[in-house]
Amino acid sequence: MDLVGRILMVEDDPRDRELTMTALEEYNLTNEVVVATDGEEALDYLYHRGKFQTRANGNPAVLLLDLKLPKVDGLEVLQQIKSDEKLRMIPVVVLTSSREERDMVASYKLGVNAYVVKPVDFHEFVNAIKELGVFWAIINEPPPGSIKKK
Amino acid sequence: MAERKPPMARILGVMQRYGLAILSVGAALGIALLLGRYHFRGVEFPLFLFAIALSVWYAGIGPGIVAVLLSSVAFDFFFTEPLYSLYIRTSETPYYVLFILFASLLAWFSALRRRVELALVRSRDELQQEVELRTQQASLLDLTHDTIFVRNMNHVITYWNRGAQELFGWTPEEAVGKHSRELLRTIFPIPVEEIEAELLRTDRWEGEVERAKADGTSVVVASRWSLRRNEEGKPAAILETNNDITQRRRGAEEVLKLNQKLGERTAELEAINKELEAFAYSISHDLRAPLRHVVGYAEMLEKNASKVLDEKSRRYMTTILESAKRMGMLIDDLLAFSRIGRAETRQTLVSLDQLVKEVRSEVSQETDERNIAWKVGALPELYGDRSMLKLALVNLISNAVKFTRTRTQPQIEIGCAERPSDGVVVFVKDNGVGFDMKYVNKLFGVFQRLHRADEFEGTGIGLATVQRIIHRHGGQVWAEGLVDKGATFFFSVPNHRR
Repeated sequence: MDLVGRILMVEDDPRDRELTMTALEEYNLTNEVVVATDGEEALDYLYHRGKFQTRANGNPAVLLLDLKLPKVDGLEVLQQIKSDEKLRMIPVVVLTSSREERDMVASYKLGVNAYVVKPVDFHEFVNAIKELGVFWAIINEPPPGSIKKK
Repeated sequence: MAERKPPMARILGVMQRYGLAILSVGAALGIALLLGRYHFRGVEFPLFLFAIALSVWYAGIGPGIVAVLLSSVAFDFFFTEPLYSLYIRTSETPYYVLFILFASLLAWFSALRRRVELALVRSRDELQQEVELRTQQASLLDLTHDTIFVRNMNHVITYWNRGAQELFGWTPEEAVGKHSRELLRTIFPIPVEEIEAELLRTDRWEGEVERAKADGTSVVVASRWSLRRNEEGKPAAILETNNDITQRRRGAEEVLKLNQKLGERTAELEAINKELEAFAYSISHDLRAPLRHVVGYAEMLEKNASKVLDEKSRRYMTTILESAKRMGMLIDDLLAFSRIGRAETRQTLVSLDQLVKEVRSEVSQETDERNIAWKVGALPELYGDRSMLKLALVNLISNAVKFTRTRTQPQIEIGCAERPSDGVVVFVKDNGVGFDMKYVNKLFGVFQRLHRADEFEGTGIGLATVQRIIHRHGGQVWAEGLVDKGATFFFSVPNHRR
């Protein structure tokens, strides 16, 4: 089997998390998914802080980022990542309900790698997540220093 | 002939004048002789003097001398001894000399008086003309509606025209002779000494002053002063014209106030707009998420439990899913609609021809299996927001596709009619199910539908979106239709760049 990159999913809504996990399950990508429930936790993971203090080294192969998050919102997380020399190479995919142009523009200005609007239709949603997962965790070669496992 | 006429006239004039002298002396002689017949003595002397005086008065000094000479000769010939002889006795010589002297003196006086008289008449005529001219000028000044008054250097009013009476309310009789500043209670914008200094330096001043009217109200006037100097160059009087600018001043204040209000209103609207934007934003984020969950979990439930569910329960599941999807569509359409109102339009030169091609290829999935007869005319380029115009065309064309679905030979025509008043007018015409013109006003309203959902699907936002897009381009939308006979939708876009 191919190497599977680690996916950091930043999502506050447990239902969205479950639906996303269901979609990823089909390709057995769930083992490598790490969940952060808000922006602060996401940054904690990336900086080895808080409950992620003891985690192994290495960056995730991709970060699935919701925009509307408690405490630190998605755009702030994105800005932090893209302005940090050690983190800026991590591919970030914004995965959001918002089709608002200003969110899109702001994300791309900050250097996001992809912007995906969660479809309301479940089949479309599952397909989108699956394709995302397959592309970023399997097909795409992540930058050096990313966590990838068999 | 014309050149010789003046000398001829002069000669005639001279002859007339001397003829008068001869005639008057002759007449005096005749009368004296006639009276002599009736034994009146001593009348000849005053008669001759009268003839001389007459000649001098009406014919001038030359004929006067002639009259004196003729009178002397006639007097000598007819009235002194020896009669009928020009012989003058030595003893009577002083008498003749005296007569001639007296006659000459009379002629001289008469001529002098005549000259004075003429001069007097001439100056009287001149004076009369002058008075007429002045009266005319004064009445002209009086005729103007502009306020004009004159005051001397002690500020005493010396002239007050009708315009002044109309503006301030005092008649000329009331105003003339009054002190202008006391009467008008003038409030100057700068110290009056400065105004007077400028007036003396430049002979004029203009500015806005506030004055009182006879009824006690105040009036703001634009005042112009002109200094009149006498022959020695000393200031003599000040002529003032006033224009009532109270209304203008009030208007300016009003405009200022309105602007302020407008500013407040704009701020309010901006706040409301921001609120709306926040509202739409939160709908976009928060309303779609639970909907996605409904759909997602229902799908998962259907997948897991479809085997144990009976027919009825499966239909319930399907209905839940369809309703949720429909709501998703509604939200998306509504958000797109509200975005059109909020988004900036980006004006570029758009080729409608190209846009229609793109839209047709986008709707081709649905139309491929159907045998639609397309007829696309030449379409122009116009200035507008490309993505918005495309959205408008997508809505119109997909509507045409949708409502011709029941036709065995569907026809859709897209064309352009350029009208100078409207700029570009584009139409999309179909032979579909059409609509009742009774409801034409409802067509472009949000959530307004003229067909049942099970006949033709739709959210009822498409035409509202078209209307909003076209309005944002400064254009108009309208439609014509007949039930079962098709519909034509028009939109106009001004041809100029906005």
